[in-house]
Amino acid sequence: MSASITGLLKPWTPRLFLVRWSRYNPYYLEPEPRKEVYHIPETELTPEQKEERELKSVRPIKAATNSVTSSVFNDPVLSKFVNMMMKDGDKIIAKGIITQTLENMKRKQVEKYHKAPEGKKAEIECNPYAIFHQALENCKPVIGLASIQKGGKFYQVPIPLTDNRRRFLAMKWMITECRDNKHRLTLMYEKLSQELLAAFSKEGNVVKRKHELHKMAESNRAYAHYRWW
Amino acid sequence: MAMQGGTALQEKVSRMLSRKQKKPVLKPNKPLVLKDEVANRKIKKGEATCVTEMSMMMACWKQNNFVDTLCSNEMQSFYKCVEKAQIAVKDKSEQQTIGQSGRLQPKQATTLLKRYPNLHIEV
Repeated sequence: MSASITGLLKPWTPRLFLVRWSRYNPYYLEPEPRKEVYHIPETELTPEQKEERELKSVRPIKAATNSVTSSVFNDPVLSKFVNMMMKDGDKIIAKGIITQTLENMKRKQVEKYHKAPEGKKAEIECNPYAIFHQALENCKPVIGLASIQKGGKFYQVPIPLTDNRRRFLAMKWMITECRDNKHRLTLMYEKLSQELLAAFSKEGNVVKRKHELHKMAESNRAYAHYRWW
Repeated sequence: MAMQGGTALQEKVSRMLSRKQKKPVLKPNKPLVLKDEVANRKIKKGEATCVTEMSMMMACWKQNNFVDTLCSNEMQSFYKCVEKAQIAVKDKSEQQTIGQSGRLQPKQATTLLKRYPNLHIEV
């Protein structure tokens, strides 16, 4: 809170780097940062893609944000995770923690790889990005609970969740778990790498939390008809 | 014709408010003026979608002690059902906004009324 107040006391100067404004006319289309889309030759386009291209040649397009690049290392899921971990707009620290986490995971996996016998070497996953994605998939809940009022009382009703909501819940649980349940001396990247590796092999507290949510939903399945959508 | 109907209504309302014949039927605490908007309401109450798929998936979970890998078939069918339900909801709302069947939609009625609002200031 003190940081935001001191920010207002400084005299206003225009920004050094121009930042994309986030409110656009709905007429504007989203930019396409991936290179592969533009490398498809004309003949192999489906009719929908051709239509889309014609539309894009007529309509204006929003400016891309600073966090979106056309490089091979651009990962929208990872960017979202970094943004969720960020505090007070400090992206550098959050991105640093994530890079350290990925490096730490890679080191642990490579160590395991070299210690493993010949037959087991192929099963050990060394790519930290693959581990991150698989761990997040293992943490995503399938159904959620909603508080619905019926006859004066509130019931926890099992509802299907959208993909965005599921991804958000998985990331939120991971971050809160790593922030709350860690020893005072362990650093964030260390705890995060431990949790991600545990989630990759379907153990650990985040996967336990997901299972508890499923159990709650299962016990409340009688109230499923209180939904109206 | 609208004017005749309008005056008849005014006379009936003034009769209901008057104290000359018997006790007044209406005792309004606010002026009897219509609002410039119509309430949004859906007449049909919807029902829960994908309940069968959900119950099958939960039965599978109960059998297998909540291990996800053994229940992948049921989970896939549940996801498909949810997707279909979402598409159905979108199509239905689109069809409702386009098709009126003789009546104006509440949102359309509100925009019309807002263009010709009640005068509350004498200019």
